[in-house]
Parts: sequence; structure tokens; C-alpha cells
Amino acid sequence: MSGRETDAGTETGASTPTPDDGVDLAEGVDHQVAMVMDLNKCIGCQTCTVACKSLWTEGGGRDYMYWNNVETRPGEGYPRDWENSGGGWKSGEHSERRPGEIPAQEDYGDAWEFNHGEVMYDGSDQPLRPQSDPEWGPNWDEDRGDGEYPNSYYFYLPRICNHCTHPSCVEACPRKAIYKREEDGIVLIDQERCRGYRYCVEGCPYKKVYYNATKKTSEKCIFCYPRIEGEGPDGETFAPACAEDCPPQLRLVGFLDDEQGPIHKLVNEYEVALPLHPEYRTQPNVYYIPPFAPPQHSEDGETVDVERIPRNYLEKLFGERVHDALDTIERERDKVDRGGSSELLDLLTDTNPARKYRLEVFDDD
Amino acid sequence: MRDRKGWTVAAWAAVAACFVLAAAVVGPATVSARPANQIPVESVSVADDPQRPTGEAWDTAPPVEVPLTSAPSGLPNASDTSVETVRVQSVRTDERFFLRLSWADDTADRNASGPREFADAAAVQVPVNTSARPPISMGSTRNPVNVWYWHAGGESEELLAGGPGTTTAFESASVETSTAYDDGRWTVVLSRNVSTAAANRTTLAVDRDVDVAFAVWNGANAERSGRKAVSEWHHFALGPGPRGPPYESILWTIAGLAIVGTTLVTIQAVRRN
Repeated sequence: MSGRETDAGTETGASTPTPDDGVDLAEGVDHQVAMVMDLNKCIGCQTCTVACKSLWTEGGGRDYMYWNNVETRPGEGYPRDWENSGGGWKSGEHSERRPGEIPAQEDYGDAWEFNHGEVMYDGSDQPLRPQSDPEWGPNWDEDRGDGEYPNSYYFYLPRICNHCTHPSCVEACPRKAIYKREEDGIVLIDQERCRGYRYCVEGCPYKKVYYNATKKTSEKCIFCYPRIEGEGPDGETFAPACAEDCPPQLRLVGFLDDEQGPIHKLVNEYEVALPLHPEYRTQPNVYYIPPFAPPQHSEDGETVDVERIPRNYLEKLFGERVHDALDTIERERDKVDRGGSSELLDLLTDTNPARKYRLEVFDDD
Repeated sequence: MRDRKGWTVAAWAAVAACFVLAAAVVGPATVSARPANQIPVESVSVADDPQRPTGEAWDTAPPVEVPLTSAPSGLPNASDTSVETVRVQSVRTDERFFLRLSWADDTADRNASGPREFADAAAVQVPVNTSARPPISMGSTRNPVNVWYWHAGGESEELLAGGPGTTTAFESASVETSTAYDDGRWTVVLSRNVSTAAANRTTLAVDRDVDVAFAVWNGANAERSGRKAVSEWHHFALGPGPRGPPYESILWTIAGLAIVGTTLVTIQAVRRN
């Protein structure tokens, strides 16, 4: 580790971002895992969701949990209306937390039982359907979006735990059962210490901590730490399953303080990768390349010079820095359109897994 | 004549002495049932079935209504607790120590089976070292407490704590609980062997009063963790008598002497006439 990084990790850890002077890491954390998701590549196939679910949340009280989910935007999200459930910090000083609520089971949706037996084995001619009569569930409002034909719009938003630099879930726990681990800033719940009080569930503004009613403890995304630690077959290191299994490969995985990596460049140099809801003040380490949809059409099908996805909607999600980010991307695209080259677009279109997943750069520390 | 006078004086003195003694002994009992914050511990036989919430053992054990208030805590809504009093009784056999807690709760929340559901619970804390009173909020690292924790969701736990947020379960719980919910009231009996040799486990085989405090959680009100209704320190009356604070006996003795003195002065005055 360089001296500059050490400074970032210890002295400026609790302060505001200092992009010109090293990378802002949480206090006491050596490095910080990070992910960049390019929303322009997401096709809403839910392969990430299934990869995560089949690895970590099948059965055992976890059926309703989606540590990774993909929701349609604009839309209610998962759990329903999570953006109005409170949590996070009142200010950038991180001294006072915003009160939060635990979502109701109906807002997550239940794990539905289906009539597979009847349809597949008993010769029933009923359609395959849930045995209950659900009124809500994840992706209930899928692909609905907003706007009017021919200018309707929507996009997909994949979400995992943000492994925040200032995690309000950690601060909320009276038992210090949830913590940010020193080596890479992954936020984990010590299942031995957790007593299922759920202050972390209400304290997380992204509602990415889930209560397991069977185990009576809370659980969450672990950034697939056994995979990044090389606990897989043959001791190989893998990126989190949601990233590796993504068909359009929209995720970059690495360390925020790896200054040679694409994440650092996209987040801190070009400033085109932005955290979701920065106003929650938890400083997420999952970043998004905002979506740039084709422009609007007239009724005759002619392209008009109006953005399809309203900027003010994107600003609600990603803050006011979204304007500069989109402008930068547009400028670089124009450059390439004119026959020039752009490091930024090279980074965004790179298909080399060795560059997209940089998880071993600090192995020798 | 002189003999007769001597007998009279002696008789009066004896009457006076009896009066003083009676005042000192009976006086406190006639004024207050027991010293403040005391939980009497009655001896019962195993046949009285003290482990059963409705066992006969509990018919004679005097109940103490222990007031509860919200525990001071930085947790959200910590001052919003709903249980205001818990009725406490305690008995013992030669082997085991029993405690019966009973409190009103409109709903029996038996299971935290959804994200917004919390189970009703109750806890008793006693110091590991019964000769020193620990801080009321879960003790301290230097003066830890044992916590007997019951929750409506299932088995009880025996915990060690050295301050808020530090409870750690003993490897094997030695506390047995049995529960009844009837007519809007929980009744929970917790029992444990009187003596124990285990490290960090409070022994009740002592010849002194033992501090004890109580906590109750109403699951329907999202009470859990430090959001709870708690008592101040009470004590099990396990020490030698007299049970009351010493000043009470002194005051009653003075009162007795004053009565005798007044009586003697009155008698002498009557005789002179």
C-alpha cells in the first residue's frame, strides 16, 4: 500500500470525498471493494438475481430475500416504496441518523407456492399460477415505467448492498453485530452476535438488510466474500456471482482505492459513475453509469431533440452530479462519432474480464 | 411493706420491658408489610409444584408489585414502552430457586415470524458477585450480571452481560421456564439451582440479600433490545433477619421507651396524690 493510500484510510476517512488527495475510505479500513454497474447494458433478465439466490438465499427463511434484485425504474422497487422508508444520516457529518422503518412482509412480497404438482403431474388444465392470491411482489410493476407512447420510458436498476463507507446499519446496531470488515470494507453481520433486533433493517436507507424469521437473525449481501477470497474450486478468485453471471457483463468489480483500475477512473477521474441517492449520506461503494436512452420521437416517428428519460428523474436517483456525468459521456461519444478515441468509452466497452474484475491487486499487502 | 413496694416496681419494670420489646418487634410489621424493594423468598416443598405457573407454592408466596419504566437508551423510540408493572413472587426448595413473574399484555406475541413482528419477553438480572451492586443497565465489565431471559418464541436463555449490548449466552442454559398466558396476562416461572460452582454464574446459596432487577418487552409494541420496561434494583431477602433497615428497630425502641417513661411518670404522679 502506498503512503498516500494510508493517509486516505486513516486521516481523511471520516471526512468528505477528497478526489484530489487519495481515495476517501472508511476509518480503519485498509481497502474498499467497489462495483460499477452500467445501467445502459442492463436487459432486466434477472440472471444476477437468480445467481445470487441460488448461491445464498434458497430456503431456510430466506425465500423472500433478494440480496440482489433488479427493479424497473420508474417504479416502486423492492421492497415496495423503499425510498420512503427512512434510514441513513441527517447530514454529511454522520453524527445523527434519520429514523427508519422496517418494511412490511407484503411490501417485500411472499415466496409464492405454485400449482406445479397439479399442472405437471395430475393432468390439471389450469394455468400455472400461485396458489395464493398475491397483490404485490418483487417486479410487480415490471416494465411499466412512465411517459406516454411513443415516448414512454423505463430502465432497469440492479441493486445489492452498497457496502457503504458510512454505513448507518452498522451505527444502528446496539450490539455491534454488524460491522465493516477491515481488509476490504465489506459490511457483514456476525451471525453469532446478531439477536434479530432489526435496527439495521430500519437503519439502512436502501433496505438491503433482511430479517430471517427462521433463524431469528438478520442477513444481507456479503459481496460473495468467499469467492473474492479464492475459496472456490482450485483456490481461484472469482468476482461476486451477480457480476460474473451477468449476460451483458454490465458490472465492474474491484477496489475503489486501486488507482490503476477502471472503477477509480470512472468514479473519481471522469466522475461518470455515481452512487444511488447520495442524499442518504451513507456514501455507497456501488456506483452506476446513468442511463442515456434514445431521444424522444414525434408522433410521426421523427427523432426530436428531447431526452427520453427526464433529467429531473435521474437527478432524484443520482443527485445533481448526474448532469455532468451525462454531459461527459455525451461529449466523449461525440468524440468517438467523429472518429476520435476516448479512454472513457474504452473503459465502458471493455470486455476483458481481467480488467473488469481486479480483485487481486492488494493480495501482496 | 418495703417488700411489697419492691415487687410493685419490679412488676411495672417487667411490663415496661415487654412493651418496649413488643413495640420494636411488632411495630414495623403493623406499619409496612416489608422494607422497600424487598422480594421475600418463601421456603416451599417440591410437592407444591413451584415450576408450574399455577402451582400451590404460589398461593402463599407474598406478591410484590414492581413498577417499571422505559430504560434509558439511545435506541429509536426507547421511551415508548407499554408495560408499567410486573408482579413478582419468589420461593425456594432445598435445591432450586423459583421466581414467578406476571404482567398484563393484551396480545400474546409468541413468534417473530415476520419482519415487523417481535416476541414478548421478560428478563431477570442478578449480579455475578452478590456482594457488590453493579450498574443497573446490564452491569459493567468489572461487575457483570447474569440475565435469565425468557421470550415467548421458545426456549429461555441464560446470559452473561457486562454493559449494554454485551449479552453473551452461557454454553448451556441452566434456567428452566414454564409459561402460561391467560386472560390478558403472562405468567412465567423461571427456576435455577440455588447453588452453582460455574464460573460467572451467580450462586444463590448465600447468607445475604441478593440484588435483582426486572425487564419486560411487549413485542406488539416493537419492544426489543434496549427498548424495554425496566425496574430499579430490588433484592431477594436471603440475608439474616431483621429484614428491615436497622434504623427502624432503633426508632421503635425509642418510641417504646418514651411510652414507658410517660407511663411511669403518670403512675408516680397518681401515687403522690
